[in-house]
This record gives sequence, C-alpha cells and structure tokens, in this order.
Amino acid sequence: MRYDSITEAIGNTPLVRIDPAVHGLRNIDLYAKLEMLNPFGSVKDRAAWSMARPLLAEAVEHGSQVVELSSGNTAKALAVIAGMHGLGFKSVTNRMRVPEIKDLLLLLGAEIEELPGQSECLDPTATDDPLTLFHRTLSASGSACLHTDQYFNPRNTEAHLTGTGPEIVKDLDGRVPDWFVACVGTAGSSTGVTRALREEDPSVRVVGLVAAKSDFIPGIRTIDEVQEVGLFDPDTYDTMESVRADEAIEGMLTLNRRCGILGGPTAGAAYFGAVRHLRALDEESEERRTAVFIVCDRVESYLSYVRQRRPDLLGRPPRKNSPADLSDAEVGRAPSIGVADARRWIDTDRPLVVDLRSPYAYAALHIDGSVNIVDELFAELVRGGLPFSKRQSVLLACPVGEQSARYAALLTRMGHPDVRSLAGGIIAWRDAGAPLVRD
Amino acid sequence: MDGRPLHVGPQPEPLYLRPRLEPRLNSLMAAHGTLHSLVDALGSPVHVVVPDQIAENLERFRSVYRSHHLSGQIFYAHKANRSSALLRRLAATDAGVDVASLGELQHALGAGFDAGRITATGPKNPEFLWLAARAGVTVSVDAAAELDQLAALVRSHALAPVRVLLRLSGFETSGVKVLSRRSRFGTPVRELELLLGAVERHADAVDPAGVAFHLDTTSVAEKATALEGCLAALELCRSRGLRPRAVDVGGGFGVSYLAEREQWEAYTSGLTAAVLGRRPPLTWGGHGYGLRDEAGTLRGTLGLYPAHRPVAGAAYLDELLAQPAASLGGRPLAALLLEHLYDLHTEPGRALLDQCGLSLARVLEVRDQEAGGPLLVRLAAKADDIALEDHGVLMDPVVLPRGGAGPGEGPVAVHLFGSLCLESDLITRRTVFLPRRPEPGDLLAFANTAGYAMDFHATRAQHQPAARKVAAWQDGDAWRWCLDDQFWPITPSRGAQ
Repeated sequence: MRYDSITEAIGNTPLVRIDPAVHGLRNIDLYAKLEMLNPFGSVKDRAAWSMARPLLAEAVEHGSQVVELSSGNTAKALAVIAGMHGLGFKSVTNRMRVPEIKDLLLLLGAEIEELPGQSECLDPTATDDPLTLFHRTLSASGSACLHTDQYFNPRNTEAHLTGTGPEIVKDLDGRVPDWFVACVGTAGSSTGVTRALREEDPSVRVVGLVAAKSDFIPGIRTIDEVQEVGLFDPDTYDTMESVRADEAIEGMLTLNRRCGILGGPTAGAAYFGAVRHLRALDEESEERRTAVFIVCDRVESYLSYVRQRRPDLLGRPPRKNSPADLSDAEVGRAPSIGVADARRWIDTDRPLVVDLRSPYAYAALHIDGSVNIVDELFAELVRGGLPFSKRQSVLLACPVGEQSARYAALLTRMGHPDVRSLAGGIIAWRDAGAPLVRD
Repeated sequence: MDGRPLHVGPQPEPLYLRPRLEPRLNSLMAAHGTLHSLVDALGSPVHVVVPDQIAENLERFRSVYRSHHLSGQIFYAHKANRSSALLRRLAATDAGVDVASLGELQHALGAGFDAGRITATGPKNPEFLWLAARAGVTVSVDAAAELDQLAALVRSHALAPVRVLLRLSGFETSGVKVLSRRSRFGTPVRELELLLGAVERHADAVDPAGVAFHLDTTSVAEKATALEGCLAALELCRSRGLRPRAVDVGGGFGVSYLAEREQWEAYTSGLTAAVLGRRPPLTWGGHGYGLRDEAGTLRGTLGLYPAHRPVAGAAYLDELLAQPAASLGGRPLAALLLEHLYDLHTEPGRALLDQCGLSLARVLEVRDQEAGGPLLVRLAAKADDIALEDHGVLMDPVVLPRGGAGPGEGPVAVHLFGSLCLESDLITRRTVFLPRRPEPGDLLAFANTAGYAMDFHATRAQHQPAARKVAAWQDGDAWRWCLDDQFWPITPSRGAQ
C-alpha cells in the first residue's frame, strides 16, 4: 500500500479473532480491534488527526503552539502531527506517571508541563485549582495556541463515529456485534463507536470500563474522573464496570503471550473486562454471538509500569560476583581500617584510594589523591573479575563505610589479599577533621 | 445505567468516614468516664493532647533517617499547635523545633530547647529577629533584605555570628517542567548568586549553614525537584568557597485521617453523584466542596484534604528520599545527600502531631426536621474550635453517650451546628452519618485534631470561650490528665518518666 503522507495510514486497522481456546467462551466470538497498529501507535491517532486537521492551516499561518491536556497517547500523536507541520507542541498534565512516555514525548520535541499537586495546608475557599489556571493561561496568553481540547471536542468522537465504528461493521460482514467493550478515557472512542453501531442496530450492548478508584491504569479514568469529561454521557453505556490494575496486567499478559497481540495495559483491561462480563452471558447463549473490544496501544511503553507492579514478570537470572550474595557474617569480617590508621597507611604504603560515591559528590569534596569509581560502575567492573592487580593494595571509601565493607568483603572473596574498607566512611573522615579537597 | 435524578425514596446507605485510630488514641477514646468528667469540669469544648504520642511519631521519622544513614535534625513546626505539653515533651527528646513568631520562640526557649535545636522561619519582625540572633538560633533567611537586616542587628548589638539557612524558591527543571504554585517566601534560585554576594559581604555576621525550602504541596515530584535544586545551590556555595552543611526540606508530609480507603472512595463518589443530581445532597444547602455541575459534566476541583492517604508522614519522607535526581545521574536523593556529606533537616508539623489528640464537644440540642431529613444537632462549640473543615478534612466524630452505650436505633444522618449566632457556624457542611442518634448531654469526640484543628483558627467571638486544653497520659490501664500548661516531662504520677 502506497501513501503520500503518514497520516493517510491512520485508521483501517485489522479486526482479529481471539482464539476461543484462550478465552474459553463457547458461544461468543471475541474480536480485538487493533488500534495499536495506527502509525503513531494508538487509537488516539484518529482523534488527534481529526481534531487538529481543520485547524492546522491557520495554526501554521500564525505559528501557533499545539496545546493539549494529555498524559500519553494523544500527546504522542499531536506531537508528531505538530512536528510534521513545523509547529511546537506542549502537553500539560498531572497524570503522566509512565516515564517511558515522558521520555518519548521529549524525544519527539514536545514540551511537558506538570501541574502542581494539591496544597498540603489546604485553603478550601481557594479557586486557583490547576485546571482553572490552565484555562485562564490559555485564554489570557494572547499568544497563538491551538488547543485541541480532547475531553470536550466533538471531533474526537466523530473520528470514531465515521472511522472505527463503521470499520468494525464492515469487517463483520455488515453485522453489528452483540457486545462492544471499551475502556473510558476521553470517552471519544467508546462514544463514537457506540453511536455508529447503534445507528445500524440499536440492540448492541455496550460495556464501559473504568479503573478501580485507587488504582492507576494508563489511559483509563476512574468512575469519578469520567464525570469530568465533557464527552462522557452515562447513557452511552448499558453498564459500567471497574477493572483493577493487576487485572489489566493479567489481561495484557494473555494478549501478549497467548494471542500474539502486543497490546498495553489498557488493552489488557479491555480484554479482561470483556471476558469477565461475557462469561456468564456465554452460558445462557444458544446461538453464536460476537463481541468486540479495542486494543488501544502497545506494551513497549509500559515496561516500568509492569516492573513497578509485577517485578516477578521481569525477573532475571542472578548474576555472579554481586555484593548481594554476601552473608552478613562475610560483610562483618570485611577488612576495615579506621581514619587515623588509614591516614598513616596512605602516607606509608600509598594504597589506591577508591571513592565509590557519585561523581558529583566526589567533585564537591574528596580525599586527596583518590580515584572516583561510582558504585554502579564498580559493580559492573567487579562482575567481570578483579579490577586491580593483587599486588596493589586498595582502600575503599563510601559515605558511611557500609558499601565499602560489602565490596571489601567481595573483593577478598575474589582473592584480593589487601583491600580494606574505610570504617565510618567519608563522614567519619570529615568528622575526624581529616582533609577533604576540591580539585 | 439509568443516571437520571432520583431525589425521592428512602434515605440512601449511610456514608461513614471512620477516623483512623492508633492504639494510644483508641484507648483514650474508649475512656468515656474520663472524657465526660473532663468536659463536666472544664466546660465544652475541650481539647485533649497526648504528649507521649509525639515522641513516638518522632521516632518514626528518626528511623527513616537511620535507614538512609542520614544525620540532621527533625524540627517540629510549632505553628500547628500552641500546646505547651507537646512542646515540653519534645524538649525531653532530641528533636528540634521550628518557630515562626516571637511568641513561639519564647515558648520554645522556655520549654527547654537550647538554641542549637531551634530554627526561626517565616515572616519576622525586628524583635523576633533580635531574640533569635541573641539566643543563637538558626535563622531561615527569606531574602537578601532580611540578611542585611540581620547582619545590621548582629553588628550594632555586637552579637556572635548567626547561623543562617537560605530559603530558596522558584526551582527550575530541565526536560519536564514541573509547575509549582508561586510562594510568597524564599529567594528565587535564579537570584542565588546575588544572595551569596550578600552572604559574603556579611561574612563577619552570618554563617551560612545551608539552604532550605518549603513547598505547600502534596506532590512528591515537586519537592524532589526542589531538593535537587538545593543540591545544585549547595554546589554553587561550595564553588565559591563557602562550607554549607545542610538542606532543610521543610514539612508537608501529610496525615492519613481515615481508617478505610473504601469509605473515602465511596464518599467522594457519592459527593460527585450528589453534585450531578444523581443522588440526594450530601451537604448542607447542596454545597459541592468545589465541585459543580455544568450541563451534566462535573467541573471544578474537589477542595478537600485527601483524607485517606496510602503514603503519609514518615513514609512520605522515605518516598521523597528515594526519588531519583535526573540532573545528578539518576541517583536517589538520599544517596546524594549522604555522599555529599549534607545533613537533612525536616520540619514536620501535622505529621508529627498525627494521633496526638482529640477534641470534645457536648451535644446541646437534637432537633428533628419535619421532612424526615437529617437531624439538626447543636454542639457547645464554635466551628473554629474544631477546625477540621477549615483544612478540608472530613472525618466522622465518635459519639460518647452520657449514660454508657445505649441500645442504639441504627444509623442517623445529622447536620452539626456550632454555638454562634451565625448562619455559617457549621462544624461541617457535610451531612454526617452517626451509627446511633445522639442525645443532649452526649459528647462528640473529633479524633486527630492536634494538627492545625485545635487553636490555629479559634476565636473568642460573641464572648464565647476558646476551648481549654489538657494533656493526658496513660498510667497503667488508667488515663491521667492535667491542664496543658501544667504539664512537664516530670509531672508527678507520670511514673518513672
């Protein structure tokens, strides 16, 4: 397929049947709408393009900055679209909790502003909540900006009313699915698709999924937060159900490992919520039915999210020569030397003094003549074997003598005959009045 | 989902907001006889503080310091409570105190804190500044002009050089811009060079001990940005030949007030539904606590303290210290403080006062409403005596029945009114659900009021008294008490203390 612009590749995503052996539903065919295959990586490509497109010509003329309140995929798509048209993009957010997305946005040239947190000494009469301030700055700035306003912009919904929804019907050979399951973020995709499906067949049942209240699933709002969305209309959904973060990850794993669909946690939540909702209905069902859920984006951006919640999934084999393998007794036996003796030792035998602190701390103040190998780097070096000749005596120094004792014990175990830890560390050194220098 | 207004029908399920009570405060709350006799003797309302709890809270902060091998002082932010008992109990520990007025400084010196354990912060008048300099306490300097003023005092009165912390604000980040509310305090970091110029000019009069900030926010990211900025500021100090030793990260570590997350979630969801007209109002006059309905969409921001917080107090400090500093190789802030040999100072107020007291008010009148709506309950206390609502803290009071626990007739909804002749004298605008109907003579006990809710806002309006304050402690199974001002760490009958 040949295109003149990458934006032409937005939409017309595949609808893929999930293997019944995976979901276990006997009478319901479950289909995934793979919005993750949009060119910028998510379902938001449609909305971003739909909202920005009619305003771009004027924005280019005025050199406006594109501005949106977004913590993720909308920002990503808008950053790309803005960049393609030579415009700047700024994302304002208080919800950006996934570091990879932040980094990716910066890479794409976006500017990110994080809104301040709630006041600790709260003044309940204050009216300067961060969002009000945001809107005030937008209208007062006088500087040109293109605010796409995804939570209220009808063109967000329209992208799905004219695109995603009809595509689903077409790929089901003109039939409307019996159920449509969608996670609710801006409510744009669920509202637009639902409207398109109901126009064809009002009997479609729509399940809206929200995050459990204290949980965080990227791209999904909680039951209270959806009320703040202008596009949200409770009548869109026949039922609203909530999904927990661990359930979303469980669903994501099934998609990733069993279905070959590399969707992210939002997709996992949709899959999990869909199967949970359909299981009871499946038993009652006599004839074949169909259900569709949306795979919103890809898994790769959420590795730190997974690492935080399910570190077991990213487990790695243990490495050798790690200070973590040492017993407390071994660390206790680590050769160490007090400040006064260490000063004499340095004067007479000239051991190599290794300062394990960060380069910033080392640059600020250190023992004269020492070399700086920051602990992380030292750990890497030691993993490969002894980094010093056995004929070179070594004095290890860290802030309080704890890390240096561990490494002294480790190097001793690895066969070094004369490595010692500075007891009490650089702090004891300072407290004893021994000299520290800046170079 | 039907989602249409349903203003009719039976009272919906009660939405409780049960206070979180740790064992000591829970035990005090159960001492009905003692609490009733207190109000009988001293009148309603009465505040009870629990000095031993503040020492325990201090130890929790200390253990966070220990786990990161950090040294430095924990300065109790005195402004959160005027109590002498709490202050004197802390004087008997190794804690410091942060004073924000001449009176607070006098109080701290009189409670037994030596100058090395006191910092003076906030707006200062000349008398406050003089006494701070004379006594030799550390002064947190707000701006270059204050530094000039302090140096002039030191010279003209031939005082010893004063230790100062330079309070900074307006921290900037690279990469992601972390927005922060503008503060009226501190010197913007971009003016640091000018300030350091002043420090060097006044080298005979001031000793720069380090830098400080205090941000009024619950956001860990904002504070981490500020702390990272302080590390850069200290490096600038060192490059100019100064020898700073400490960073003061201020306070704002927070308290979790409620026992159960689910209750807080159910309440805030209920409030949202009520504001949107999808359930009966949950407040007096349909007040929305900052939320409002605009054509079916929720607008505004919930102006309430996050009453259930999974991470608060010492644990919040721990989380802050674990944040990586992007400009310094991504190392955690705690490791950077340690390896740069800096002391960490903190100024917890509310967090040190967690579980340190409760407030008692007598029920004067219980009036039925005609429509079968919430009961109207009038208390012998003004709203400013129990100022939880002034800080946006929503929490149920505990009913202490006059004649022991009655049979109870099931939950009732009530509105709690104060004793002022003023429409707005509401203890809370929230409809409060109580497990049983209160009767005149019963006490309502408001838990965990020691932080900012006892005396910070109290007035003597309409010739009504401000609440009396007592200190209470455990003596075996019994609770003993004395007037707050009578309490000293050696107070008789405190046993071996």
